[in-house]
Amino acid sequence: MFSPGAGTDGYRRLNRKCMLSMYIDYAVWYLLLLAAYFAVRTYAEGFLGPYYDAVGYGLVLVLAITLVYIAVAPPVFYARYRYRITEDRVDVLCGILFIRHTLVPIERVHQVEIARGPINNLLGLADVTITTAGGEASIRYLEVDEAETVADRLNDLVGRMLRERVPGPAGA
Amino acid sequence: MTDDTGAPARHGEPIRCHPSIVVERSLSGIVVLGILVMQLGRGALPALLAALFVGLVLFNYRQWSRTTVRFNATDVVVERNTLFKTKKTLPYAKMASVNINRGVLNRVFRTARLQININSGSGATVPEAVLTFREDLAEEIRAGMAERLYGSENVLEDEPAEPTVVFSPADVIVHGLFSVSTYQTVSGFAFLVYSVFQLYTSAGVGGGALVSLLMFVVVQVAPSVSLISHYYNYRVYRRGDTIYLEHGLIRTYKTSFAVSRINAVRVKRTLAARLLGRSCIEAEVVGLASGSAESLRPVLCLLKDDATQQRLLAEIVPEFVYEGVREKQPEGAKGVLRVRAAVASFALALAMIYPSIAVYRTTAPLPGIAGTVLPFALPLATAAAILVIWYATSVSYRITEFGTDSDLFTFVNGAVDRETVVMNYDRVQMVRITEGPVARFFGVARGKVYLLSAIGGASVGSGYFEEGRLAAIGETVMARIASGEYDYRKNSI
Repeated sequence: MFSPGAGTDGYRRLNRKCMLSMYIDYAVWYLLLLAAYFAVRTYAEGFLGPYYDAVGYGLVLVLAITLVYIAVAPPVFYARYRYRITEDRVDVLCGILFIRHTLVPIERVHQVEIARGPINNLLGLADVTITTAGGEASIRYLEVDEAETVADRLNDLVGRMLRERVPGPAGA
Repeated sequence: MTDDTGAPARHGEPIRCHPSIVVERSLSGIVVLGILVMQLGRGALPALLAALFVGLVLFNYRQWSRTTVRFNATDVVVERNTLFKTKKTLPYAKMASVNINRGVLNRVFRTARLQININSGSGATVPEAVLTFREDLAEEIRAGMAERLYGSENVLEDEPAEPTVVFSPADVIVHGLFSVSTYQTVSGFAFLVYSVFQLYTSAGVGGGALVSLLMFVVVQVAPSVSLISHYYNYRVYRRGDTIYLEHGLIRTYKTSFAVSRINAVRVKRTLAARLLGRSCIEAEVVGLASGSAESLRPVLCLLKDDATQQRLLAEIVPEFVYEGVREKQPEGAKGVLRVRAAVASFALALAMIYPSIAVYRTTAPLPGIAGTVLPFALPLATAAAILVIWYATSVSYRITEFGTDSDLFTFVNGAVDRETVVMNYDRVQMVRITEGPVARFFGVARGKVYLLSAIGGASVGSGYFEEGRLAAIGETVMARIASGEYDYRKNSI
């Protein structure tokens, strides 16, 4: 199995810091939404006319639902997120409302990329994106060291597979 | 092999494209500049534009004169020695297809465009090299390269091939008219009806009527005419492991690809086609980009009666004939589909409350039949739309299927336009199974299979099935890799 720390089924969980990263990310977007709301309340009365109040109530409802989602989503995301890397496959289980189970055969991996946004950079987290010829899968919010280890491990597995395919010298 | 002057072009000897490429590349410039000159009249600016055009022609001439192509033993090298130097090496081993197409200018100059495609996902929509040669030279080069690409079989382009099925001009017209998606047809005719309504209610041809008529042409007429022109004189045949397609009225196409490049086969039946008892076959093939806006999915059979379509499928791509059992969606799927229909109906009804009241208030005072019918038009239309949603839900539950076999698996989808997709496990790149909150409650999930397609990546979605059944796709992919049944030499990209 890939490394210590995995559950009995071989699946690993994320670091709790992923929730903080999500909270900060959501907070930034929520501030933008709030700014849009205040802009509408301040400047759109003339434009909206008789619909001004109705649009205002609608926006308040959207803000309230978004706030509830922001509060609940990170813990649910953290609780559900599982990933597993074995000799032949990458399995990722994730989702908040919709649970997704993604299976990527190592044989199909073309490229492995580590990416860090400014928030993740601040918290020492990184995303690993696995590219196949048909699409991408990602393992998100890994600690930087673990992201490096995961990427190295995937590169090793792909490299080993390719080396096994290269025909050796005759008689070797 | 000969170069554009007629002299023999030996392996490794650099040759240039046909000089007509200068005209071809400059033509779009002259059209734009010509229009500008006509608009601007006389003065310094038209003179500047004319100078710009001369500059463009000289630039294209320089690009042509300094671009050479070498057909080596193992690769094709396209080299341009201009300010921005480029050297592109295209190994035969990585080529997916070499095709020819001819436009109007090509016919005037008796040339042809040779398009070379590599198995690249990222650049799948544009050919890696487009080279214009004299027609016979292009054919000769293509035949030579096809021999390298598609194995040691003798692929003689001039050898007459008897297509398994003959497509008449009537078949081409039927395909052009009825292979367009039903949603597109309905929206096209809605524009036409609105345009006629506008003409009827207003005194003359108003702006609204013209715009609607234009939209009808754009949405319905133009795609049909384009399809008829694209697939005119359609021929399909297979030699060894290579499939050949020939078609085209204004621009002619000669396309060939190895069967091993096919990732999936789709049998499509639009609503109109089903009423006519017809269906067509499309293939998901890697490396067939033409760089134009046309569909990159090659059609292996135009709309033909179902029996002929099945016969052609068995003769052209027997590798994708699925003979296994197909299962219907489980009872849980019915629950999810009903919840979805209920939500859609509720949202539609909610959205139509205000417009219905507004229309009622406006039209109720109208005299005669208008005052009797129009106030209830929107509620009635909403009720009809809700009935359609529930009918489509029931049809969707009934027709959606999923089947697995030893080498192939299949999804059948589409309440209106039906599509049967047959895929090979060895071409699956990634599998994703998704369970929404409602689907979880009913114990079902949806699967999405990611494949490499002509446009880069593509996914094919399933209906609602038990998670374990859908997970079997991924497990079979893994088992085939582990057991060695999957041969990377045949399937790697």
